Amino acid sequence: MRFSVAREKLVRPITLATSVVEKKQTKPILANVLVALKDGQLSFTGTDMEIEVVVRSSAVDGQDGAVTLPGKKLFDICRALPDDAQIDLTVDNDRAILRSGRSRFVLSTLPVHDFPNVQDIAEIASVELPQNVLRKCLEKTQFAMAQQDVRFYLNGLLLELAGGYLRTVATDGHRLALCDHKIRSNIKENQQVIVPRKGVSELFRLLEDSDKPVSITVATNHIRVLTEDVTFTTKLVDGRFPDYQRVIPQGGDKEILVDRDALRQAVNRASILSNERYRSLRVVLNPGSIKVIANNPENEEAEEEVPVSYDGEKLEVGFNATYLGDALNAITEPTVLLTLSDPNSCALLQGEGNSSAKFVVMPMRI
Amino acid sequence: MRIQTLSPQLANQIAAGEVVERPASVVKELVENSLDAGAQRIQIDLEEGGAKLIRVRDDGGGIHRDDLVLALSRHATSKIREFDDLVAVATLGFRGEALPSIGSVSRTTLSSRQADSDTGWTLRCEGDEPSAAPEPCPHPVGTTVEVRDLFFNTPARRKFMRTEKTEYSHVEELLRRVALSRLSMELTLRHNGKVTQHWPAAGAPELWEKRLEKICGEHFVSNALYVDWEASGMRLWGWVGLPAVARSQGDLQYFYVNGRMVRDKLISAAVRRGYQDVMYQGRQPAFVLFLEMAPQDVDVNVHPTKHEVRFRESRMVHDFLFRSLYKALADQRQGFAPVIGAGASSTMPREERAPQGVVGPVEQTAFNLGWTTGESRSAYVTPRPEIFETRPRAETPELSGTVAPPAATPSGAAESPLLGFALGQLHGVYILAQNASGLVLVDMHAAHERITYERMKASWLGEGIAAQMLLLPVSVRVSESEAQLAEEHDAMLNALGFECSPLGPDTLVVRQVPALLQDADAAALLRDVLADLRMYGGSDRLRESINDVLANMACHCSVRANRQLTLGEMNELLRDMERTERSGQCNHGRPTWVQLSMEQLDKLFLRGR
Repeated sequence: MRFSVAREKLVRPITLATSVVEKKQTKPILANVLVALKDGQLSFTGTDMEIEVVVRSSAVDGQDGAVTLPGKKLFDICRALPDDAQIDLTVDNDRAILRSGRSRFVLSTLPVHDFPNVQDIAEIASVELPQNVLRKCLEKTQFAMAQQDVRFYLNGLLLELAGGYLRTVATDGHRLALCDHKIRSNIKENQQVIVPRKGVSELFRLLEDSDKPVSITVATNHIRVLTEDVTFTTKLVDGRFPDYQRVIPQGGDKEILVDRDALRQAVNRASILSNERYRSLRVVLNPGSIKVIANNPENEEAEEEVPVSYDGEKLEVGFNATYLGDALNAITEPTVLLTLSDPNSCALLQGEGNSSAKFVVMPMRI
Repeated sequence: MRIQTLSPQLANQIAAGEVVERPASVVKELVENSLDAGAQRIQIDLEEGGAKLIRVRDDGGGIHRDDLVLALSRHATSKIREFDDLVAVATLGFRGEALPSIGSVSRTTLSSRQADSDTGWTLRCEGDEPSAAPEPCPHPVGTTVEVRDLFFNTPARRKFMRTEKTEYSHVEELLRRVALSRLSMELTLRHNGKVTQHWPAAGAPELWEKRLEKICGEHFVSNALYVDWEASGMRLWGWVGLPAVARSQGDLQYFYVNGRMVRDKLISAAVRRGYQDVMYQGRQPAFVLFLEMAPQDVDVNVHPTKHEVRFRESRMVHDFLFRSLYKALADQRQGFAPVIGAGASSTMPREERAPQGVVGPVEQTAFNLGWTTGESRSAYVTPRPEIFETRPRAETPELSGTVAPPAATPSGAAESPLLGFALGQLHGVYILAQNASGLVLVDMHAAHERITYERMKASWLGEGIAAQMLLLPVSVRVSESEAQLAEEHDAMLNALGFECSPLGPDTLVVRQVPALLQDADAAALLRDVLADLRMYGGSDRLRESINDVLANMACHCSVRANRQLTLGEMNELLRDMERTERSGQCNHGRPTWVQLSMEQLDKLFLRGR
C-alpha cells in the first residue's frame, strides 16, 4: 500500500478516528487505527470495541491496501508536521514508512485481519435529518448524564425516534434535561435507545453545526450515525430508561420570567462562596425579585438579586448551583421561564416561548 | 425405631461434646469452678499437654462430703437455686454440667476439704457411674480435681486432639486470660513436672502493669492508655493500645464482662468503631478491657461455652463502649519515640537492647519497631508542664543563619508547646522541631491532613445537614423486617439527611440523600445501614461514609510533600497539631510525628559513656 496526501486532508480524519481509541489497552491492536485505501478512497477506523468510527478522506492517488498503525503516534506526527506538508505513506511488509519533506518515520504495524470490526447490524428503523438538529439535541442534554452511576442506564442518553419528532433525554437522578425536535420521518413505532456516555461525547465531536444531512439507523444492539464522511457506530446500553414523563413537573403554580444572563451570572458569582463540595444555594423568591444566597463553612456569604416578573407568594428553595448553572447554560433564549411550586418539588426551567427544551432540577434541603 | 430416654451416661457424653472439646476446655471449666469457690491460689498440673493428666488444685471453699456425689451428677450445682438467680448470675458457672460432663469422658478424682472439716474426702469416677461412697483422704482446705486419660472412652474425640505442644499452648493461652481477669490471684502452671508459668498475686494497682507486661508484652504496656469510665451503671476500665501498637491479627484483644472473657460481635463492632479514624487500614487494635455491670443486665445463658453474651440494653452498651474509646483516642496527641538501633524487638527488655544500635544506622520506621519508654504514655495522659519549664525557643540554635521568630508565639511566655518550635524542613517532607525533650520529626502532609480533616468534620457538624432530594427516587427491595426497621429509625435517618419511605411491604424508596453522599450508591448504603440497625440496634454507617468523603477531601486540601514552608508556617502547623484531636495519627492511622529524645541522640553519638 502506498499513498500521498496533503497534511490538511489528514488531520480531521485522524483526529476523529483516534479520539475514540482508549489511552490504555490490554489488546495492543486497539491502540491502532486502521488505514485503508480502496478505489482511491482513503479511510481511517478507530475502535474501542464499543464504538467504531470510520472517517473517509477525499480521494487520493496511490496503491490500494490496508494497514493498522499506532493511533496516538500517527496523530501526534501529523499534528506536528507543518501545515502545508505533503505526507507519503509506504507500507513495506510489517513496517510503515511515513515521509514528509525531510522527515521520515518508521512505524510498526499489526495485522489488519486482527482489527476488530463491528458485525453487520440488524436495522430496525432509520431517519434522516440535518446535522445541526442532532447536534443541538445532544448539546442541550448531554451535561445531565450520570457518571459511573450504579444505575448503569443513567450513564447514557436516551434517544427517542418517533413519527414526528426526535427527542433526547438525560438525567443523573438529581436533574433532567430533555430536548425535542420536529423531524420528518416514516417511523411507525416509537424507538427508544440509550446511547452510552462515551458514545454521546464522541458523536457530538464529529457533528458539524451545519444543515448537511445525517442519517440515524437504530438496530437491535447498535445505533449507527452516517454523515458525508463519517460512519459512527456504537453499542447501546441494554436497560430501561426511567419514565421521564413522570418527573417533569406539571402544574407548578409560580411562574417567573427572568433574564437568562442576569440569573446565570448571579448563580455563578454566588456559587463562589457556596460549600465547595455540594455547592448549595438558597433561592429566595419575592414579588419582583429573586435572591440567590450562598454560605460556606467559613461563614462567608454571597447575595445576588435579580429583578423578575413575578407577583405571587414568597418562596425559598435550596438548589445545587452546578445543576442550576448547567440548565441556564443550556437555554439559548434571552428570557427564562422558571416554574416552581414548593420547596420540596422540582423546578422546571425553559426558554421563554420554547417548550421543546425542558430542564428539571430537584431542590436541596439545606 | 421407638422413642426412649437416653441413659444418663450417654446424655452426659452429649453434653460433654458441647463443653469439653480439648484439655483447655477442661481446664477452663475447672479453673472457673475454683474462681467461683473464691480461690486465691490455683495450681494447674498437666501431663502430656493435658491428655494424660489435668490436675487443678485451689484454696477455695471446698465441697461438703455429702455433696461430692452430687457434684458429679448432672444439673447439680451450688451456684444458683431458682429462676431469679439465673437471670442475675454472678458466678462464672451455673449450669451444673461441667463436672459430670468431664467425668463421663475421663477418669476423674474429686478431693476436697472444707474449713470446718477435720479430714478431706475423695471420690472417684471412671467414665460411668461414680463409685458409691467418698473415702477419707489427707487434703488441705480447698478442692483438687484430677482428670486422667481424657476421652479414654470416646476415641472419636481423642483423634481430634493435637500434639502435646499445641494442646499445652491452648491451656497456656486460656490461663493467660484468666490471669488477666483476676489480677489479685496467684496462678501456677506446671507441665510434665516443671513450672512453666507463674503469675504471682498482683492485687495492688502498682503491680498490675507487671502482670500485664508479662502477658501482653512490654511493647503493649508502654503504648497503652489506662482508662476507667463509669456511666449509667456500667464501668469500663483496662488498657487500650494506641493505634501504633495495632496488630495484623486480632490476637491481643481481651474483653471481660463481669470477669468473664467473651468474644462478642457487638463488642468488637463497638471497639472497632472506637478506633475509627485512627487505625491503619486492615490492622487490629490491641486492648485489655473489663466491663462491669449489673448481672441482671447481661444474659450469659446463650451458649454452653459462654463465649457470647446478650445485653439487655445492647444499644446502650454499644454506645458506652464506643464513646469511651473514641474519646480516649481522640484526646491522644502523642507522637512516638522510636527505638534506636536495628534488631531491637518489642519483646526484648529495655536493658538488653542498648549498645548494638549505636554503630548501626538509625532505624526509625513507623510501625513495626517497638516504641520505647513508659514515659511516653504518662506524658500524654496528663501533659506535664513542669518538664517544659524552660522556654526552648530562647536557646534555639540557629540552623540557617537567620531564623525568623516564630509567627505564632503562644500568649503565655511560661508556656512551652508540646511539639516545640520548628528548626527547618528536611527534603521538603519532614519538619524538624525542637522541644524540651529533644528532636521532633513531623510528617508534614500527614499532620496537615489530620488537621484539615478534623476541621472539616467540625464544620460539617456545625453547618447543619444539607440533603439532595432525588428526582428519580431509588427503590430498594428489602425484607419486611428491614422495612419495619427503617420505619422505626426514621428520625435517626432523617437527622442525617437520608429519607426513605415504604412502598409496599418489602420495598423502600430513597427520596433524599445527604448532599455529601449524592454520588454514592444509595441502595447499597441503605442496605448496609439496615444491616447495622439489625445487628447493633444503631448505625453510624452514614456518618462514616460522610467521614470518608471528608477524609478524601482533606487529603486533597492538604499541603503535599516538596512544598517549601517558612518557619512561621511550620510553627503554625505545630500549634495546630497541638490543638487538634487525634493529631498523633493521620486519617489513615499512620503516625504524624516522632520524638527523638536527647538520651536517644546521645546514645547515637556514644556521649556520656
